[in-house]
Amino acid sequence: MTLMQALSQFCNECNSNARLREMNRDWNRRVLLNPDNVDSPHYLISENGEVSAGQGSVDNPDLVIEASDTILTSVFSGRMTPTEPYNAGDLLVRGHQDDIMRLDILTLLIWGD
Amino acid sequence: MKHVISVSLGTSDRDHEASMTILGHEVLVSRFGSDGNLKRAQAMIQEWDGRVDAIGLGGIDRYLVIKDQRFEIQDAVALAASASTTPVVDGSGIKDTLERRTIERLHRDGVIHGGQSVLMVSAMDRFGMAEAFGMLGYRLIAGDLIFASRINYPIRSVEELEELARKLLPELTRLPFEQLYPVGDAQRDGRDPRFTHYFSDADIIAGDFHYIRRYMPDSLPGKIIITNTTTRQDTERLRKAGVSTLVTTTPVLGSRSFGANVMEAALVAVTGVLPNTPDWAKVVEASQLTGTRLEFSSV
Repeated sequence: MTLMQALSQFCNECNSNARLREMNRDWNRRVLLNPDNVDSPHYLISENGEVSAGQGSVDNPDLVIEASDTILTSVFSGRMTPTEPYNAGDLLVRGHQDDIMRLDILTLLIWGD
Repeated sequence: MKHVISVSLGTSDRDHEASMTILGHEVLVSRFGSDGNLKRAQAMIQEWDGRVDAIGLGGIDRYLVIKDQRFEIQDAVALAASASTTPVVDGSGIKDTLERRTIERLHRDGVIHGGQSVLMVSAMDRFGMAEAFGMLGYRLIAGDLIFASRINYPIRSVEELEELARKLLPELTRLPFEQLYPVGDAQRDGRDPRFTHYFSDADIIAGDFHYIRRYMPDSLPGKIIITNTTTRQDTERLRKAGVSTLVTTTPVLGSRSFGANVMEAALVAVTGVLPNTPDWAKVVEASQLTGTRLEFSSV
């Protein structure tokens, strides 16, 4: 699975889940995912409850996430929780703490338990 | 005299000492805040280990009890491990018994009525209370996501609370605690008016007082507040806001209601019974610990 495929899956999960759409209805953010081993940035945009993804960079990101593309793909496909690489220092996040926590919670609500 | 201490991740501004009588024994309680500094809290626990009869962890839970499952906050596990002799408790055993009974008693006494709407500002740390509200027919909103993470999503039932807890807690409990709950100076952060409508819509507001203090509107006419760790200033502020009744789930000593961890530490010190043992519920029952109820006249 590529990072883009994982992000598309993540978006589909968010957009098809009424609870997550409600949670995200007022969360308008740009998230830049920067693999630190390859020059292949991706992005997530959340707007009015809808989450979309794309390849390339995004201007003025609210949140920047850096890790290897393998870790990013694993996290956004649900094969790995963000906590594990985060606590190990293998996943760096820059942004507001509330946004970081929200991404954690979204991934756990999609793939947790 | 028994001596227990409470080591809190909260501010040291609230440090105090008081004594109480529990099951006929006098207990001296000393509270020490570490201003959110985990290492300082660990050092305090090490310093008092073996010198007091029990240690309470304040401003942090070790166990989050969701029905039959306990989730452990890893930072609290590390704190508790700082003591090798003295038992360290977090108040979850009191919350799961005393707080549940507090709701049942208020309901039985007609202070609160089934069908009323309840805002629990956080409920994953007080599942017993949430369950009591649910079983007695109250309309529950749990604000864990709203007030802990600023995600504007009200949890609308005990069942949904349980489902979310089982999905979130296995991972979130592994995060640094300061990401989950305000500690130290963060407890003094300014007011946040974004979610005041949840307070206005509720008849009863229950749960952690740090969240209530930070997110409540200036006016709460006729509301019933069920909480603890309130000080004289907190009580005055609630009175001015027009609150009709303030119920503390733990006794008030010297004008402040102590945290559940303090009560639990005192009970452990006096009885030697630990919260995770079968006799614990009997010990809580025998202690006849009750909170207080303060009725305010209209302002």
